[in-house]
Formats: sequence, structure tokens, C-alpha cells
Amino acid sequence: MEGEETRRFDRQTLFRYAAAAGGAGVLAGRTGIADAMRSISLAETGRLQVMDWAGYGNDGGQSMFASYVKTHAANKPQFTYMTNESDALAKIHAGTKADLFRPYVGWVKYFATSGLVQPWDPSQISNFKHLNPFMVKAGQYGGKQYGIPDDWGFDAILYRTDKVKPASNSWGLIFDDRYKGKISWFDDLNMLTVAGLYLGFKNPWNQSDAELKKSQDLLIKKKKNVRLIWSSETNLWEAFGSGDIWIAYAWPNDWVQMKNKKLKVAYMRPKEKPIAWVGMFMLLKTSSRPKLAHAYVDAWSSTKSAKWLEDNYGYGHANTLARPASSDLLKALQLTNPRAVTEPAAHLDRDIPRRATYANLWEQVKAS
Amino acid sequence: MAWLGVFFVAPIVIVALYSFNVYTLFPGPHGFTLDAWHTVAGSGIYRHLFWKSIEMSLIVSISIVVLAYPLAYYLALSGTRRKYVLLLLLIAPFLTSYLLRVLAWKVILGDQGVINSFLVWTHLRAPEHPISQLLYSRFAVMLVLAYIWLPFVALPIFVALENLDQRLLEAAGDLYASRWRAFVAVTLPLSLPGVIAAFFFVFIPTIGEFVTPSLVGGTGGYMYGNQIVDKFGAGFPDWETGSVLALFLIIVVAILTALFSRFLQPQRVAAE
Repeated sequence: MEGEETRRFDRQTLFRYAAAAGGAGVLAGRTGIADAMRSISLAETGRLQVMDWAGYGNDGGQSMFASYVKTHAANKPQFTYMTNESDALAKIHAGTKADLFRPYVGWVKYFATSGLVQPWDPSQISNFKHLNPFMVKAGQYGGKQYGIPDDWGFDAILYRTDKVKPASNSWGLIFDDRYKGKISWFDDLNMLTVAGLYLGFKNPWNQSDAELKKSQDLLIKKKKNVRLIWSSETNLWEAFGSGDIWIAYAWPNDWVQMKNKKLKVAYMRPKEKPIAWVGMFMLLKTSSRPKLAHAYVDAWSSTKSAKWLEDNYGYGHANTLARPASSDLLKALQLTNPRAVTEPAAHLDRDIPRRATYANLWEQVKAS
Repeated sequence: MAWLGVFFVAPIVIVALYSFNVYTLFPGPHGFTLDAWHTVAGSGIYRHLFWKSIEMSLIVSISIVVLAYPLAYYLALSGTRRKYVLLLLLIAPFLTSYLLRVLAWKVILGDQGVINSFLVWTHLRAPEHPISQLLYSRFAVMLVLAYIWLPFVALPIFVALENLDQRLLEAAGDLYASRWRAFVAVTLPLSLPGVIAAFFFVFIPTIGEFVTPSLVGGTGGYMYGNQIVDKFGAGFPDWETGSVLALFLIIVVAILTALFSRFLQPQRVAAE
């Protein structure tokens, strides 16, 4: 049905432009006709193609882009889901025709230099001025705005206060031998970064071969303590909520969810600092609907959408005007502190120059 | 043949081309290389993971063949009139979702699941010391796989036993063979093709399993199939190594199938 509406609209649009061109011809002669014809060629038609994560499309995330759908009913978003950036990269190379997609901040440089994306024009995003300046800066490369920040959160440690007594506020808790079989890690190459942070390396995002070896050895050695390596939050909630695990590499929303289950939990900010992640909308170079993509991102960036995201998904939003109803979430995300995602409060996630090596080493940890 | 060519041979050829870097996910210079093959061949981690998966699949396959045989024997040879009703009952759970059945095991096996709660209730375990190896472990994967694949084992054995020429058993009885002797000399050899087929119905797909391990396996139950999936879709794409791992699995399975295919020929086995 939507396809039919789109086709009908396209014909109507064409007739309208044709009428405009004809009318303009009568009123302004040949110049007017040329302008009108140019507007036809510049018109963006069809449904906006969005590649995004599950939960951010028509499967529950509709409120985030409701204002876009209202004003662009003929160009409703059509979603392709990505399971991670690696998956998105494969899909793009395989020919998926998306207009925009959402990698996380650590991939901004990779995609900006890949030739696959183009910079945004912030002047076309009315809500851009409300976005956290530190996150906005993290979306830049070479002075251009390649990423528009929206959802964000921390990587830190969630634990049961009635079962676990941390020796110190440290990432070391997710390696602690005392809690063998009760620990959960996150299935991501960032585990090597965390190991590097714990081992005190200068730049955990760009470790030398010797440092990477030490980080990998630590993970392989401590894997015996780990019961589950989670890859989706529901996976984590299920295991943590049922008491199968007591300590987890987790996001702020996971803490809120477990509190809601009446579990005695704390969300530790380790002394090595949490890692902040930020979702970045990126505009693909092959997009034939850049204006629509800007409008879509503008809808996502509004204060109303931001508050909805915080209230319903428990993630932070880059819009600094938004405040969640939950004071717990406000506290966990430190939403009153605009510098919460950056030094000295946290390490903002960043480019990993040897990402393929990190990925390979992490896969080996899982396979070991 | 065309079907086989398009949907089986061609995809394998494409995967092979990826493994030799003739095809690549990324644009840019590429060409024939054996680098990924050398990497996999020289990696103790991949070898260890492969043998671990083989071992798990073997345990699962042998266990359920041993469990399913008496079941199929009873259904086929006991003379019960209700054998088809019982057979239907056996396969009834398999009319529900695969995912649902796997997830149901989480409720049973968790630290606060049915089994551990029962053990606590009977004072066999203290509440703070549940048997945590029941879930997110190698055991959990093997148990759930055995449950999932049981009908695929029971049915071929049932068919083999039901097609058994009853007159041979009567003849064995006439020659004063004991029931056990008749079973060993007649029933078992003649049902062996069904048993071997059943074994392979389970062994081959479970070596490459990745869904069940990802749901109930935790770190201990991670299998070779999970590594293939991760190489293609997690962290950073490494289709080259992922293709080598996938092809290696196909080669091993093909060799095993060829070696044992003679057992799938009933007349030949019967003749022996």
C-alpha cells in the first residue's frame, strides 16, 4: 500500500512540477522554464532508505522520526537492519542502497576516509545547535561534519551489591577470580581496549603488538571466569535478571532495567574510567536523497525525540535540552554534565587504527 | 543437476574464491593468495575449536542414537497398536518453534531454574551453590542439541526396524537362537543402515551449529560454527578466513560422508 502511495505521489509531484514549469514558462519565459526543470531534477523522490540497528526503525523506534513521517509522508523511511558496523560495511559493499546509516563514534574516521560517506550540512539540521558540542566534535573529520551524534551511553560495570564486594572501583572486577562463573563480558573487540585500560597502557585504542599480546593473554586467562559473552541487551537482562550472572560489562540502561527488576545493583564508574559511545548518523556518498536524510536526522535530533529515547530506551541523547523522567538514568548518564562523555569523566570511544587486528585477536579469545 | 549447480556448487565456488582472495569484500587490488589458508592451518586455536566441535557433535550423535534405538525398537517391534500415536507424541514438540524449544531449556537449566530449584527444595544443594554448569556451558549445548535432534535419529531407525523382515526373526527363533542372539545376529545388522543414517543426520549439521551455542552455550559452548559466523559478521569483516573455515568444514563433512556412505546402502550391508 505504501508503495502505491509513493507511486501515486510521484505522479502527482511530476504533474505539479510540470504545471509549475508550464506556468513559469507563461510568466517568465525560457529562464523560468529552465529553473522549474532544474527543480524537477533536484526533487528527491521515493522512500528514504535507512540502515539502522534493530529497535530504531518501525520495530519500536517510530517516535524518534514521527515528525519526519508527518512532513514527508510520501518519503517514509524504509529500513534495512545492521547488526554492527562490520555488517553495515559488508552490506554497503554488497550494494545495499541506503541513504544514511548509524555507525558508532569509533568508526567515524574509518568511514570518513573510506570514500563511502559524505559530510552533512549542519545548516539544514535545525536541532543541530542543541547537540552536545563534544559529541558534535567527535563526529568531525578533516573539519567536516561526517557524523551527527544522537544516542549515546557508557561502557562500565554493572554488579549485584548483595552478592559482590569489589576489591576496588576498577575494570578488574570483570576479571575477578572470586566470581568465577558469575561474570559476563560484551561481545566486542572493545574488550581488548578495556584490557588495555586495566593494564594501564598509554593508548588502549592503538596498542603495540607487545601490548596487544598482553591484553589478549589477560582475556584468554580470565575467560575461565566468564559465563556468558553477551551480544544483545535482552541476552544480558535475561541472564542477569535470573541471577545466572552477577557482574557484567554493561550500559546505563542495563542498570536501570535491573533496578526495575528490584535487584540490588550498582553501576560502577571504574577508576580507569568508563568508555563513552555515541551513535553517529552518516550520509552515504551514493545517497540520492540527501535533503530527506537531513530532515530525518533533524527529527531524530529534536528535544521531543531525545526525551522519548531516554525515557523509553534508557540511552542518552546528544540533545542537551532533553531530560529523562528517571532520576536514576539522569544520574547514571550524568546528563547535567555536558562533559560527561569526555575527559576527565570518561574516555570517548575513538578510532582503532588496527581494527582488523583487534577483531582477529578478539575472535581468537572467544575461540580459545 | 541444475538445481544442485546453482544452489550448492556455485555458492561453494564463490566461497572458495573469497578464501583465495580472488573475490574480496573491499574494492581495490586483490589477487590469488593462500594467506588465509596458511593462517588457519598454522593456528592452534582454530584446530582446538574444530576438534572441540567434532567431540561435542560425536557425543551428541552417539548419545542420542543409543537413547533413540530402544525407543524406536519398542515402537516398531513391540506390536503395540498405538505405535503411530506414540510416534506422533514423540515428534509433537517439534511442531513448535525451534527457538522456543531452546529458550524453554533456559528456564529449566538456569541457576534458579526448575532443576536447581528442585535440588534446593530437596536440600541436595544450598541456594547459594546451584549447579551452574547446567546452563551457559558445553553440557547445555550438547543437551539441547540432543533434545532437538532426537526425532531425526528415532525416525530413520524406526523405519529401518519396521521394514525388517519378521520371518528372519522367526527363523532365528526356530533355530533356538535366544532373543539377545537374534537381536545381535539379525535385528542389529539389518537396522544398521538406519542407525548410520540417523547418526549422520545429526553429526553433520551439529558440527556447524551456531544458533544453539549462541543461546545456551556461553563461553564454554562456543563452537566452530560460531567462529565462522563471527568472521563474516562481527568486529571487522574477515571473509577470507571465514571462507577458509567454512570450506574446511565442508571438506571434512564430505570426506566423512563418502567414507560412511556404504552404510547407507542397506542391501550391501545386509549381504555382508
